[in-house]
Amino acid sequence: MKINVRQIGHVSVADISGKITIGEGDVLLREKVNELLDNGEKHVLLNLEKVSYMDSAGIGELVACYKRAKEKEGIVKLLNPSGKVYDLLQLTKLEEVFETYRDESEALVSF
Amino acid sequence: MATATSVKLVISSEIRLVDLVHQASERMAEMAGFDADEALNVGLAVREAVINAIVHGNREDPKLKVDVTLTAGSDGLKAQVRDHGNGFDPDKTPDPTEKDNLLATSGRGLLLIRAFVDDVELRRQQRGMEITLTKRAKRKPN
Repeated sequence: MKINVRQIGHVSVADISGKITIGEGDVLLREKVNELLDNGEKHVLLNLEKVSYMDSAGIGELVACYKRAKEKEGIVKLLNPSGKVYDLLQLTKLEEVFETYRDESEALVSF
Repeated sequence: MATATSVKLVISSEIRLVDLVHQASERMAEMAGFDADEALNVGLAVREAVINAIVHGNREDPKLKVDVTLTAGSDGLKAQVRDHGNGFDPDKTPDPTEKDNLLATSGRGLLLIRAFVDDVELRRQQRGMEITLTKRAKRKPN
């Protein structure tokens, strides 16, 4: 898994590619989001367009990122979850937790 | 299971081996005739069963093994995953889709397994737990 962060105004857009799974992707996601939050960033948009799938550990890490951001008065939102990732968000009912956008511009102005 | 092909993998309780079993499961599902999306679902279900066995069953004790048997046949795919630890009690796993549990950071493995295969059978063994997952082949129209 790879994560590339773009700073657009006051929003950190994390472009993630690969899979978010136990032991690798979940750790990298945690480290990257922690780094952003520790640097004082409060608005994080996770771009999931190029994420092929997640397992339960990856899903758990998404939730953990959301909770850590909230603790720091920030917020994590999602952009463009792919077919399988969107299925997983629906199945786990996390679509009720995360604000999810299909359009990056729309997502950026929502913060 | 008629004209079945079987593979048995015995792995130590190491998370880095989960991908190996996932890939083997997907490949076996393809051999059983499932398309790429269904094969990924099977792979994800077996993956979760193996993670449960390593993390909750064997408590990541590298001395304890996880046995995985994959059987692909014309009627579908069967996967048996067995740990050799103290096991876990699936009945004590709270429903992760309940409103109060949505922000839990774990406990979604069985939900994914049950969503991605047709049958799930859990059997407590003298030591460890065995979970059997079955994905049935779709009947071809006459």
